[in-house]
Amino acid sequence: MFLTDAPLVERRQVARDMWVLGFAAPDIAASVKAGQFVNIGMRPGPLLRRPFSVYRAGDDRIEVLLKAVGVGTAQMLAMREGDVASCLGPLGRGFDLTLSAKTVSLVSGGLGVAPMPLAARDARAAGLQVTWVHGARTADELCSETEGDEVILATDDGSAGFAGTVVAAAPDADLVLACGPNRMLAAAAQRWPQAQVAVETYMGCGTGVCLGCAVPLTRGGYDRACTEGPVYVASDVDWPALPSHLSYAVSA
Amino acid sequence: MTPDLSVEVGGLKLRGPVLAASGTFGYGTEVPLLERRALAGMVSKGIFLKPRAGTAPSRIVETPSGMLNAIGLQGPGVDALIRDYAPKWEAWDFPVLVNINGESASEYGEVAARLDGVPGVAGFEINISCPNVEQGGMYFGNDPRAAAAVTEAVRRRTKLPVWVKLTPMVSDIGVIARAVEGAGADALSAVNTFVGMSMDLHAYQPRLSFRTGGLSGPAIRPLAVHLAHQAARAVDIPVVGVGGIMRAEDALEFLVAGCRAVQVGTATFVNPNAIADVHDGIAEFMARKGFASLDELPRYLPRD
Ligand SMILES: Cc1cc2nc3c(=O)[nH]c(=O)nc-3n(C[C@H](O)[C@H](O)[C@H](O)COP(=O)(O)O)c2cc1C
Ligand code: FES
Repeated sequence: MFLTDAPLVERRQVARDMWVLGFAAPDIAASVKAGQFVNIGMRPGPLLRRPFSVYRAGDDRIEVLLKAVGVGTAQMLAMREGDVASCLGPLGRGFDLTLSAKTVSLVSGGLGVAPMPLAARDARAAGLQVTWVHGARTADELCSETEGDEVILATDDGSAGFAGTVVAAAPDADLVLACGPNRMLAAAAQRWPQAQVAVETYMGCGTGVCLGCAVPLTRGGYDRACTEGPVYVASDVDWPALPSHLSYAVSA
Repeated sequence: MTPDLSVEVGGLKLRGPVLAASGTFGYGTEVPLLERRALAGMVSKGIFLKPRAGTAPSRIVETPSGMLNAIGLQGPGVDALIRDYAPKWEAWDFPVLVNINGESASEYGEVAARLDGVPGVAGFEINISCPNVEQGGMYFGNDPRAAAAVTEAVRRRTKLPVWVKLTPMVSDIGVIARAVEGAGADALSAVNTFVGMSMDLHAYQPRLSFRTGGLSGPAIRPLAVHLAHQAARAVDIPVVGVGGIMRAEDALEFLVAGCRAVQVGTATFVNPNAIADVHDGIAEFMARKGFASLDELPRYLPRD
């Protein structure tokens, strides 16, 4: 785990209201695995750091994906090249790609696309055939950077690709990795109990100390999204007890 | 010349004035990247006799300059704490106080009795101030008789140092402070979190599933300085200031207000090295002002 003041080195738009920011953070870039996250803080800015899945990593930099949903993200989007953000990471347990498999489906809804480029990279490195199924409400909210041996797009309104949910659009595969709104992940859990899903919770510390990121488990009790997660086997999560909507009060 | 930052607080000799606050440092094994040379001591996450699952999510939400939490004292129970953590603490070069909880005075006493004499346990901080449990917690802390009864129940079962963590949710903290001093407390920690609430304008309900939560962080600092000061004026035992400390200047405010030491909580979530930064900043302040030890730092503690 590393704590570093990382200068902004890249910004590009990948969908309506969706941006990729790149930060120079060599130690994190060299060690991060797909599904892990970084906790980013701004000074001045909101009190708490915000967790972001690492979108891409390499060449001494990490990239994260964001949407302006509150003052924190708006502030990040207003950063200029060279401005620094404090990055703590890599954090959490990522996807497990060491399981024996030949094919993998990456299933992403909306901002849930965030961990998938790294997942595609690691899956290819593991010799898997990659199908990436990506969905959004409407065509211009689809991330433009999907890749893979096969790419399937889906929109709720039918304006591009399959008309319906990503879970309905996705083919079965030896491994399914999913990320998106918790509601979508609950649907994925119904279809693929063994899927590896990256959940979203509020986080206080990101490092396992505060117990604020509780994920309710089917076997009873809670564990920590930031430490035992954020990636879970879908059937291990007690979906009805996991808040499906997060609304950030001061920022997001 | 390096100033001497060591202090003695309620039966414990500490190498500095900055401790880790309960619930913000886990069991001491979780916080990464802290330069531990500066850590004077830590208070463990609150523990009950039996394991507790804690509250349903969402458990935390950020608010202006602060955060609300309702963790509900999730924990493994005393036996697991003795088995899994105390052996690690024994090897550390700073004391660990266990933050103890109960639904009745006798449960507090029982927790203390089980931990008394366990190598690695240097003392107790009685939590009569947790706002996030249905039974006990804060409800003991805002009644001087109940607060004294809990303190006595623990005092009877141990010779180790006993600190009592006070709630800010009282009309006169001095009354509670005197009551627990009279019941045998060696020191006071002031204060725990303030009860707060935040509404979700999408779901039209509280953001926290427990409805309310404890407010911490810089938002509470002036309130906490005032309460710690009032407590310090009311008693002769040392007071440890807690609430919203992010930097050395914040800690120095508590010290000048009459506290013997301080605890850093929420700041550690933001900056894992916050405790060391606060410690070093205090040392730097003392050197700059020419104070050789914390005894020389002027305190504002009028007795009336
Ligand atoms: C997530 C969280 C968990 C806490 N858990 C405990 C606890 O178990 N026992 C306790 O006495 N205080 C607990 N506290 C209160 C802190 O120890 C401290 O009194 C309070 O947060 C104010 O200090 P701060 O503003 O520096 O955080 C907790 C605070 C937070 C934020
Ligand atoms: S965010 Fe603090 S324990 Fe997970």
